[in-house]
Amino acid sequence: MNKTEKKNKIKHTGKKNRDLTLMSLPAIIWYICFCYIPMFGIFFAFKRFTPKPGESLFTNLFVNSPWAGLDNFSFLLRSSDMPGIMFNTLTYNLLFIILGIVIPVFLAVFLTELHSEKLKGTIQMVMVLPYFLSWVIVGYLLYAFLATDEGMMNHFLTVFGKDAIQWYQSPKYWRFLLIVTEVWKSSGYAMIIYLCSITSIDRTLYESAVLDGATFLQRVRYITLPHLRPTICTIFILRIGSILNSDFGLFFQVPLDSGSLQSVTQTLDVYVYKALMQQANFSFSAAASFLQSIVGFILLMITNSIIRHIDEESSLI
Amino acid sequence: MQIVRRMKRIISAFCVIALCVTLLLEGCASAGARTGGDDTVVLRWVTYQTDDVPLDIKEVVRAANAVSKERIGVTVDLEFQPSDKLNLMMASGEYYDMVFTSSWVNNFDKNATAGMFYDITDLVREETPALYETIEPFWDCAAVNGRIYGVPVLKDMGAEQMLRINSDFFEGEMGMEIPERMELKDIEPYLAAYKSKYPDKYPLDMTKAGPAGYMNFLERVVDTLIVLPFGEGQEASEVVPFYECDGLVERFRLLHKWYKAGYIHPDAATIESTANDKSIPVRFGVAWKGYQGYSNPQDWGFNVKTSIYDGPFLSRSSEQGAMFGICAACDEEHALACLKYLELLGTDKKFRDILGYGIEGKHFEYLENGTVLRTQTGRDRYNLKLYPTGASASASVESVSPTFLADPDQWKGVYEEYATDGIYSAINGFAYDRSGKEDIIAALSAIYSDYATELRTGTGDPDVLIPQMKKRMEAAGMRELVEDVRRQLAAWLESSRS
Repeated sequence: MNKTEKKNKIKHTGKKNRDLTLMSLPAIIWYICFCYIPMFGIFFAFKRFTPKPGESLFTNLFVNSPWAGLDNFSFLLRSSDMPGIMFNTLTYNLLFIILGIVIPVFLAVFLTELHSEKLKGTIQMVMVLPYFLSWVIVGYLLYAFLATDEGMMNHFLTVFGKDAIQWYQSPKYWRFLLIVTEVWKSSGYAMIIYLCSITSIDRTLYESAVLDGATFLQRVRYITLPHLRPTICTIFILRIGSILNSDFGLFFQVPLDSGSLQSVTQTLDVYVYKALMQQANFSFSAAASFLQSIVGFILLMITNSIIRHIDEESSLI
Repeated sequence: MQIVRRMKRIISAFCVIALCVTLLLEGCASAGARTGGDDTVVLRWVTYQTDDVPLDIKEVVRAANAVSKERIGVTVDLEFQPSDKLNLMMASGEYYDMVFTSSWVNNFDKNATAGMFYDITDLVREETPALYETIEPFWDCAAVNGRIYGVPVLKDMGAEQMLRINSDFFEGEMGMEIPERMELKDIEPYLAAYKSKYPDKYPLDMTKAGPAGYMNFLERVVDTLIVLPFGEGQEASEVVPFYECDGLVERFRLLHKWYKAGYIHPDAATIESTANDKSIPVRFGVAWKGYQGYSNPQDWGFNVKTSIYDGPFLSRSSEQGAMFGICAACDEEHALACLKYLELLGTDKKFRDILGYGIEGKHFEYLENGTVLRTQTGRDRYNLKLYPTGASASASVESVSPTFLADPDQWKGVYEEYATDGIYSAINGFAYDRSGKEDIIAALSAIYSDYATELRTGTGDPDVLIPQMKKRMEAAGMRELVEDVRRQLAAWLESSRS
């Protein structure tokens, strides 16, 4: 490579970079404003927040509030239910991560095999629709099924001569119900991402495979899945990062905050909400979310490095 | 090496950005106290937003400001905020002059103990004696360690527990009689009568919130967790966790009995609201003597009679139902202006009616007996509860229709009843300082919310749930908390006796 060529290349990339950077500027500003600046709030987790009236938040936080060490985390350990809460949070999340990848991939693969564009579009729309419903609405839709008196499920049960069930007082059904609801709501939307990746796979690969006599399953196994691998890995890594977070709507709104169900619906977020609802204690809530973020961050880094060792292209960083 | 250099650059950029924003926000925060063009003091008055902010609020506040400016040289900048915004405002040190505070929104005891409010003990006695006079004898609920930090809003200071009963059905159809006062358990035959006539219906109104004010007969020392039964409870040792309070557990048992009998909806623990179900013949209510809001046949489609089953209970928490606190960072001029303004609100009925009901002729009319009737415009564009803008008792009484007149001297009767029949809490003036025990309270609150709805709606059997809950709560430190409350209370009793 001679000198002028090299110069040209740098010039070119410089200009290109500038344009691209400019394009992403709104997103960068958004991230700075809403994700980086509020990070000073981490200090809340380690301070005993004692505001003085008439002084700014920063003076109150940094000057007026004494350091509290790890005291703010103690409310999490106070409850003897913590093992159960952690168990719920982790198992639900692991299940959601696995099901949230397997089912959408499955759906996407089959949807691409459909020849009728009209049918494909309709199915896609029907599957994505639940994603746009708020949890409060989903909660009441489910209530229409499960209400003790007027619910459809109990109507069915009585028609078939069975006893009506008090669904909102029977925890044993709810692990299943929550998982089904979550999958129903989220898989359509997740499917779109895989559908896009599949569409971008070179069609000629499939054509030559067919000519070589590959069956449908073989085509999926040797062409589609390997091409989806980076996408799947990306989504896996991202979701591992929020393993201690849980969808508050799913675990609080959908069971209509029924106390009898708490053994199966209580996740870390729900616990924090219930514990601090009356208190307005910013330090405790900051401590809880700091814990969630730090655990998520560590797990994310570990998963990422494992994946990088297996397949460097699929890792994120 | 390169990575380190790059990291350094990123970190320094981050610091610069953070600094800029800090300065920016600092600038916003200190845009503090203002005065009007002339000598008028402008107060930033932040109050609790109960419903939607009324459409005509600007017009009404302008009308009120015109009056107050002329009379006392003070105008207000009235602002409505929901509960979480009030908490945030207090914590972030935003400037305000006067703020809504109470036992249930923007907790008074917590803020007053933390030094958020102006100590008005001397100021209110010396500078605004008329205000002091009107609120007497309710200053105790605004006192922490003998100093006054807030101005109680005169409204229904005690809780009168009542049943709202469909009299068309029970008196008209069934020939039963509805007495003015009854025990709670006496309602059972009425429920049974309705149930036998309509087996598919549930006669007793119940939502997940439980019977309205079901804990009002107890002094709630720490939220709903630790209580003190009213009456003779002078000794600190009588402070108990709520599940050890026999009166309350009996209530839970009664409700569960009714639940099993089918008087309460099987899904009561998950129902948010039953306001639109006009078929329910028996509802709970908390109000005061002469209150008409429950009885307007136009609202219900049938006649409603109220029957009192408990109370009136006057506790620190009930008397703290609504208050105004003055910011501790105010200078004396502003603090005094706040008190002067509240004094005007408390003593001048015509002025009080402006913020309460709107502009005369547009939003409301005076009826011949001196009560107030809201016009259609008033209902649509300025329909506000009274207590967020000042004392209910200082405003004119509202009649619900021109034919159904309220008693204009209603409040006099209410306060006389408090004085004669009121059941008072023995520990008014004691505020539990929860610092150091906040983690226990948080853990207990979480456990409490697992059982509370089931217990208060009657859905769950208290004899099964309470032992479970007790075990978990004791593991989370209930004993430690009770001991601490008793210790503080004993010290307080000691000092208040001497």
